[in-house]
Amino acid sequence: MPMTPARPQPRTPVHGGRSSGESEARISRGARVRGRITGTGDLVIEGQVEGDVNVRGDLTIAEGATVTSPSVGAGAVTIAGTLEGNVAATGPVRLGPSARVRGDLQGTAVAIDDGARFAGRLDCEFELPPELGGASQGESRGRASARR
Amino acid sequence: MASTIIGAGITIEGEISTDEDVVVAGTVRGKLTAKEAVTIEHGATVEADVQGGSLVVGGSLTGNVTASERVDLQSGSRVIGNVKAARVTIADGAQFKGNVDMDV
Repeated sequence: MPMTPARPQPRTPVHGGRSSGESEARISRGARVRGRITGTGDLVIEGQVEGDVNVRGDLTIAEGATVTSPSVGAGAVTIAGTLEGNVAATGPVRLGPSARVRGDLQGTAVAIDDGARFAGRLDCEFELPPELGGASQGESRGRASARR
Repeated sequence: MASTIIGAGITIEGEISTDEDVVVAGTVRGKLTAKEAVTIEHGATVEADVQGGSLVVGGSLTGNVTASERVDLQSGSRVIGNVKAARVTIADGAQFKGNVDMDV
């Protein structure tokens, strides 16, 4: 079984389910896609993808996967591999310990695990502690070399 | 078994290449290259040139096909394009328009 994300997330992506998920899609290790991927189901990328990815389901970029994409759109996004590109998620975004991400992240929540490497902008709603300005909605801009 | 699966709700426009199996239940436009088996399931739409070890078509395929082993067009499939493989079967109920080249 390929690498799984560090911890289960609220909406668990269909992972490895063979024919159970009707609209499951998987780009396996050793597979390479150049072009646009769109659709309604969940998508697991274990191989290489170059091009836009836009799915209404959950997206998992597994460890060892490489995604180069100007724009990634999905529900919940779990990244354990390498991503170069911007993410706009309608659900939470999680960067696992092995994630290497360069680009902007947008989601209902963004979690960056210890060990993940990230360069880019975070765009999500969160509570800032009062001593940091106190604005209840914040955006952290700038480059974060992520240590949580 | 770690094959690539294009689920029913997924569309890929572009080029897919892999050393392993590919199962298409959704839509593929462009080019599809695999070293092993390619399966185009019933309900799937492929508008692409397909290259593979073997190819089973149950859905709709428009494009030229080359397989190093065999091509099986199942009942209910609809194929428009040229087929090149050493072994080709066309089941009763399959729709096919194109040339067959068995390399004789």
